[in-house]
Amino acid sequence: MRRIEALEVLAELCGRHPVVVTCAATSRELAAVRDGDNHFYLLDAMGLVGSVATGLALGLDPDRPKVVGIEGDGSLLMNPNVLPTGGYLAPANLLLVLLDNGVYGSTGALPTYSSRVDVEALAAAAGWTTRSTDTADGLRTAFADLLDVDEPAFLHVRIEPGNAPDVAKLLLDPVSLRDRFARWLREDHLAAGRNS
Amino acid sequence: MTYAKAVADGIWAANAAKVGYIPSVTVAPIIKALVASDGGSDGVSPRVTPLSREEEAIGVLGAFALTGALGAVVMQDNGFGNALTALTTFPLSYHLPLLIFANARGGLGEYNSMIHSISQPVPAVLRAFGVPVVELDRRNDVDDWRDTVREAGVHAVMTYRPVVVLGSFWNTDGMVA
Repeated sequence: MRRIEALEVLAELCGRHPVVVTCAATSRELAAVRDGDNHFYLLDAMGLVGSVATGLALGLDPDRPKVVGIEGDGSLLMNPNVLPTGGYLAPANLLLVLLDNGVYGSTGALPTYSSRVDVEALAAAAGWTTRSTDTADGLRTAFADLLDVDEPAFLHVRIEPGNAPDVAKLLLDPVSLRDRFARWLREDHLAAGRNS
Repeated sequence: MTYAKAVADGIWAANAAKVGYIPSVTVAPIIKALVASDGGSDGVSPRVTPLSREEEAIGVLGAFALTGALGAVVMQDNGFGNALTALTTFPLSYHLPLLIFANARGGLGEYNSMIHSISQPVPAVLRAFGVPVVELDRRNDVDDWRDTVREAGVHAVMTYRPVVVLGSFWNTDGMVA
């Protein structure tokens, strides 16, 4: 499964969830597949998806749809603290999806640690409920399973290296992203039922 | 009232919804005051939590602004070396209010022969990035510490950006290190 194929599935599944998305190719591919006011793109803050998603989950009503973080293996391994922090703070409304292609996909496909380090085991050791998959159907099933978990959830998705061709860069004003996301949280998220 | 209690009172008076801290011996009395006033114990309460690293704190507490609430961070100033990328690319760039109180090291009363290398330039470094900095020391009384911390939180909300208060505990009732 390519990254953009995983993102097509996630875009379909995340329509009512607050979504925090890692920078560069992942953000721009998700925006190309389907942009939405519920998407909060971190345009340059590599490694911060888990932190921001954890803070959001703590700040939002836990009875509303879970906060979904979409992270890459390179970015997570730049700030693996997010795993013990999420496990310690333990918001029940947090689902972190790791798209793991084994490389820093936006920076020359240089290798990450993930070929030798079991990041799912790291998450489990830190207290997250985990699932893993490498197919689109498996992604749908595992995502649905983890919506029913009442502790931080971690979905490890193995994908192929490589970026989708001809996808435009995201050249958005971060303040405009904040405005539309915060408005969506106020006006739509608060009105939604949990994980519906 | 102690200086540490003044900082804690100022943080709550700023209407902080959640406080994350990175431990140091100097901020420990502040954390104890925050936790005690929030019904907790042993460094944890419903609205106060330890965090393991400064950039984590910027991400976790900065995100509260997206929900319309104010987050606060209590840390030591040498941790800004860890936090700068997160601070500039997240709350500063997205115009998110965040209150940060950091104890100042490396100045008068310092015992450590190295820490001034990171701590003394911190105010200038933060200002170079466009982060507002307010400095407190022995010349300010405890009421001023409390009011300044509170108003820094108000200023963060009013101006949609992180605001840093640096407090030097030398010659107060607190500890430098």
